[in-house]
Amino acid sequence: MVRLLLKNVRLSRDGFELNIPELEVKEGEFFTLLGPSGCGKTTTLRIIAGFEKAEGRVYFDDEDVTGRPPYERNIGIVFQDYALFPHMNVFENVAFGLRMRKIPGEETQKRVKEVLSLVGLEGFENRYPEQLSGGQQQRVALARALVIRPRLLLLDEPLSNLDAKIRERLRGVIKRIQRELGITTVYVTHDQEEAMAISDRIAVMRNGRIIQVGEPLELYYHPRDEFVATFLGIGNLLELKAVNGKACVGELCFETELDGNVKVFFRPESVVVGGGATAEVIDYELLPGRMRLFLRVGNARITAERFINELPFDPINVPKKVGIKVENYVILSP
Amino acid sequence: MLQRRFWILILIPALAFLTVFFYYPLALVLKEGLSASALLSVLSNSYYRHVITFTILQALGSTLLTLAIGLPGAYLFANYEFPGKRFLRALLTVPFVMPSIMVALGFILLFGKQGFITTLLGRDLGILYSWKAILLAHTFYNFPVVVRMVSSLWERINPHYEEAAMSLGAKGFTLFRRVTLPMLSPAIFASAMLTFVFSFLSFSIPLILGGYKYSTIEVAIFTSIITMLDFRTGAALAVIQMALSFTFMYIYLKSLEKYAKAEEQRVFRKPKKLALREMLSLKGLTIALYSLIVFIFILAPLLAVVYDSLTWNGNFTLEFYRRLFDSSYNPIFGSDSLHAILWSFTFGFTTVLLATLIALAMAYSSLRWDLPGKTFMDVLVTLPLGSSAIIIGLGYIKAFHKPPLLLLGSPYLIIAAHTVIAYPFALRAISSSLKKVKASLREAAMSLGATDFKAFLKVELPLAFGGVLVGAVFSFAMSIAELGATYMIYQPQYTTITIAIYRYLGSRQFGSASAMAVILMIVSLVGFLLIERTGEEVW
Repeated sequence: MVRLLLKNVRLSRDGFELNIPELEVKEGEFFTLLGPSGCGKTTTLRIIAGFEKAEGRVYFDDEDVTGRPPYERNIGIVFQDYALFPHMNVFENVAFGLRMRKIPGEETQKRVKEVLSLVGLEGFENRYPEQLSGGQQQRVALARALVIRPRLLLLDEPLSNLDAKIRERLRGVIKRIQRELGITTVYVTHDQEEAMAISDRIAVMRNGRIIQVGEPLELYYHPRDEFVATFLGIGNLLELKAVNGKACVGELCFETELDGNVKVFFRPESVVVGGGATAEVIDYELLPGRMRLFLRVGNARITAERFINELPFDPINVPKKVGIKVENYVILSP
Repeated sequence: MLQRRFWILILIPALAFLTVFFYYPLALVLKEGLSASALLSVLSNSYYRHVITFTILQALGSTLLTLAIGLPGAYLFANYEFPGKRFLRALLTVPFVMPSIMVALGFILLFGKQGFITTLLGRDLGILYSWKAILLAHTFYNFPVVVRMVSSLWERINPHYEEAAMSLGAKGFTLFRRVTLPMLSPAIFASAMLTFVFSFLSFSIPLILGGYKYSTIEVAIFTSIITMLDFRTGAALAVIQMALSFTFMYIYLKSLEKYAKAEEQRVFRKPKKLALREMLSLKGLTIALYSLIVFIFILAPLLAVVYDSLTWNGNFTLEFYRRLFDSSYNPIFGSDSLHAILWSFTFGFTTVLLATLIALAMAYSSLRWDLPGKTFMDVLVTLPLGSSAIIIGLGYIKAFHKPPLLLLGSPYLIIAAHTVIAYPFALRAISSSLKKVKASLREAAMSLGATDFKAFLKVELPLAFGGVLVGAVFSFAMSIAELGATYMIYQPQYTTITIAIYRYLGSRQFGSASAMAVILMIVSLVGFLLIERTGEEVW
């Protein structure tokens, strides 16, 4: 287990520029780099692994590993395409790292067996990668990375080549194993739902920069800017004018310390229906157990989402006008 | 199905042609050679035992030398982008189209007693008329194949494999041996097998560069007929050679299948760019050195031939070229040079026509229809690949020396021989490009109202045209470079360029031989440019 620290990491190439003044991943933490393609998240992972040379320093605990080649860093890495060696069977694939470390045969046998049972693939030792399903290949790749007892586990979009059902199940497997082993993990994905479900903390990246780091719910409800806000899911973004500590639209007001133009952001489920400001119901749709309401307040359009049993009216008979309050909102930095 | 009838109309004559001009003569050779007494008398002869051993050993040696020179090139091509790479790549296609007699002549001019390299170094390296020259010439032909096949697969190895191995602790040579090498092995094995088969069946090179002492089976069959008129020994040697070459060919085709499957991957690797100034680094200098060696290796024999054709005792002269267009009788080969050139072209063009047509019919029918007994037909059709030019010549002597098939000495028989020798190569070029044309395109054309035949003519043929052109160029190149079979069945008035060169070499008239060879070289270069223009992968 190790604490990972990046300091002043910079890399520029073909017009792309990565710039990370500081990034810390705590001991035993499940940390996710989240962002759209081309944002630099995979490059960051490759710098941590030692595949890419960049300016700045990389520390594992207090040890500066910056100049170290990947084979001296003692890391486990899982690629998006798994990169299982096609000419080796499952056993040989998993045992590869132990062979490189000249671990005696008996112990190799034992450790491969242990790790295969950890990922639920006992008895698959003699299969070749091409004989396995995508999900099984993914678990072999995970076993191969874990068997060497790495200081750090790096996962580069490990689930994105799988279909939705298996993806959800495997993400549970990865999370469980990470908890069991307590291994510090850096996970790269562009899927915000996956990131929210699996991470202790998330760093949202864009154009080679880290925009915000925080726990999933913190990022979700308190995004720092519009990009983070919209990347993590749908929401309401209102552009209002603040006067005397208040920014209002129709009867709906938000408190702020800023003056002038402000952007107010809140999630649909932060809108409480019943009492407060008057809103006109333009349309609505029923979702499983929930209702989504499309509202108009003043000249603003607002989407609200509530559980049916929280509604102050009969869902079969939706009124023309409702009262709303916003419980949880942020004023985005301009 | 009108079109089906059309193709059957072409397919039946094609099969009939192969039956008369390949299977029948081959059967006669087998009948004569497959007798216990004939085989025993060859195998109990220590000279022939030596010939058989030497044939295998020289093929093995050629393969190893070819790999030694080709593999570093494959590494550089797959991993680096450097100035002059495109030129080098084009240069590597050159040996492929060069007639072997011309290359043999080039080697004589380089390594002979008065050769350029001998003079340059001030001493005879003892390469000529030994196994060394044979190995070197076979390497000249085959190392580009190794570079092409191995680098093509290397580019397709996902760097993630090596990175995963690195993260697990592998590095340096261990990383290469445990991860990269096993993934390259289909390409290394297939290109090695191809080199082996080529060297095993090569004729002109051991004939001219090896001499009596370093004779291969192919050469021994030839001499048994030409100098000893001993058909029985020739046939027995042919049977032994065929048994071996079919085995090797089978292994090669199997390894090629594996290679083709591995090559279906997309290209993963971006070669690292080396700028001009980086050429001064160790890597850059290595690349420059390798390029220089390739440059010299490929161009030296060609330039030696060109230089020799233009000089007499060290002075510039066009005399040898003037003699080319001389229509007076030349006692060295019993015809005149002008006619030799004309006959070579005549044979070349008729071979192109016949071989392309046969290959097209075969390729199309085997790809598009599920004919009964298809596998059997595939075997029959590829059989000529495992035999050899000399065996065909041998069969023709037996099959066509008396009525009703008294064709020996006629130019038509030479055309038939060239067609049988060339068509498997045309077939490969055409099928590989026809395979890439999806069947759905033809169906789309037919759904829009095109007849079967129209769909072929307007959609499939234009899309496969590159392959057809390559097949045609191959056929022409094979025909114009052919020496052994032609020599066994020709009459002096039908002397070709290659026979003229061979005769000139026998009487040590190198200048005239070189001038003739320059014509071959020009024709080959035109073919090379045509192939380059199609953009088809040829080797």
